[in-house]
Amino acid sequence: MSASAGAELLDYISWPSVECLNAQPAHGAANALKQGYREDDGLWLESDTDEQLLLHIQFNQAVKLSGLVIKAEAGGTAPRTVKLFTNQPSLGFSEAASERPTQEFALSDDDLVGRPLTLRFVKFQNVTTLSVFIEDNRGGEDTTRVQKISLLGQPAEKMDVAAIKKVGEEEG
Amino acid sequence: MEATVVCVDNSEWTRNGDYAPTRFQAQADAVNLLAGAKTQANPENTVGVLTMAGKTPRVLVTPTPDLGRVLNSMQALEIEGEANLSSAVQIAQLALKHRQNKNQRQRIVLFVGSPIREDKATLVKIAKKLKKNNVAVDVVAFGSEGEEANTEKLEAFREAVNSGDNSHLVTVPAGTVLSDMLFSSPIFQVEGGAGYGAPAGGAEGGGVSGGYDFGVDPNLDPELALALRVSMEEERARQSAAAAATIEDAGAAGSSAAAAEGAAGAAPVAAAGDEAEAMDEDALLQQALAMSMQADQSGGGKAPAAAPAPAPAAPAADQDMALDAADDELQRALQMSMAGEGEASAAPAAGGGAPGGVADMLGDSDYLASVLGSLPGVDPSDPALQGALASLNSGAAGGGS
Repeated sequence: MSASAGAELLDYISWPSVECLNAQPAHGAANALKQGYREDDGLWLESDTDEQLLLHIQFNQAVKLSGLVIKAEAGGTAPRTVKLFTNQPSLGFSEAASERPTQEFALSDDDLVGRPLTLRFVKFQNVTTLSVFIEDNRGGEDTTRVQKISLLGQPAEKMDVAAIKKVGEEEG
Repeated sequence: MEATVVCVDNSEWTRNGDYAPTRFQAQADAVNLLAGAKTQANPENTVGVLTMAGKTPRVLVTPTPDLGRVLNSMQALEIEGEANLSSAVQIAQLALKHRQNKNQRQRIVLFVGSPIREDKATLVKIAKKLKKNNVAVDVVAFGSEGEEANTEKLEAFREAVNSGDNSHLVTVPAGTVLSDMLFSSPIFQVEGGAGYGAPAGGAEGGGVSGGYDFGVDPNLDPELALALRVSMEEERARQSAAAAATIEDAGAAGSSAAAAEGAAGAAPVAAAGDEAEAMDEDALLQQALAMSMQADQSGGGKAPAAAPAPAPAAPAADQDMALDAADDELQRALQMSMAGEGEASAAPAAGGGAPGGVADMLGDSDYLASVLGSLPGVDPSDPALQGALASLNSGAAGGGS
């Protein structure tokens, strides 16, 4: 299965629960995740005290992930090593650095302009929380900048419980 | 929404009595107050308690929305040993990291009432780690031992952990009441501005009058608020009537004719009764009122302004000629109006003052509409109400005659 088969998972993200550790207050996760914000070159996600970023994305239902796009400006502040973890909402920086990730990437130039990273589909079948850990950047700069992150895939269950309507209302 | 872990200093230093009753007890009061404020600010806020001194820092209560558990835990505290700040803060961070509700932001409130053993560099390193994990830290420094060194370290700590002004350092001097000092500090303020204090107690100094007319919350006491508003509107109507009277009197000599016309305009409501007499009555009353208003104002405003207008009408009518001699225009206007009214004496006007006053007030449709409009459930434009008023009006005028 190709990575491009999946659609954007924006609708399934539980926005209030999205948490990005070590982001600057003025350059938060929404700048990279939300539609409209992430297309704007003047808005980006930037790390604060050091170059690492840990982004927890919770979904409002289980999803299957097939691809991930990480776009960033080329240069020293672009992310290099990216580790993905699934279903570990309490993951901290120390665990993220030491534990075995679900999948790990070293971003190339092509990846940074928006080519989707292909995920091992079988490992991302029932994801309720995706943690994106950006471990370091290319130039050893103090901060890391990310322009856009988008998630590709599909919901694990076809039925959206929230969309269920009361039966018989039309007839009544 | 916030998860808070309070780090309590239960070291031997807190036996000191420089804060009444003891440093430790003052701190316990402050923690109770803070926990109450936090849990009240949002039902999903949680508060936990951790002790810093003793063999090892100990989490007494993991973050919970249950205020009772926090208060209980504060009862059973023992004072022993020295505070271990660095490990306490890191344990607090772990407790926050494993909070149930990830929507909550993380906050540590650190009470420091003893000299800090860690050096500045260590503290800054911990602060950076906290900041990296999105933990805000409020620090309450109290106690005088090693104060300067403490302040310097804590200031550096706060500086390093602060992100978007979410962390604060409050130093409370000895001899004050710790909880009182904290109550007005940013530690008790919700992020975003509004304080916990006003909704919680309503007793915060200076915060009471903010936002409400007359300094009364209409939601707390609707009847009082309504009474205040009606009273306010009455006063406004009285003032506007007084202003109108002044303008009339200060106008040209023909103003009294205008007053007479006004009286005539008010008269038709009395058409059912003895027309001529009612007219006389009304005109006299108008004039007496105007005079009393004038007397009030020319008397340097010392007359009780809030007194109902009909009351001073009688004496004013008695001393009409003896009024301020300097006020020529008024005198002339009065004489002309007296002449215009013919032989009418002051006595019947005084006699009819009280009911006439009511009729006069009822005749002022604007004023009446404003009063009625302020009453709940009353529609001033209701035809039934209008009819009732008209009949009341004529009845009052008839009673006056």
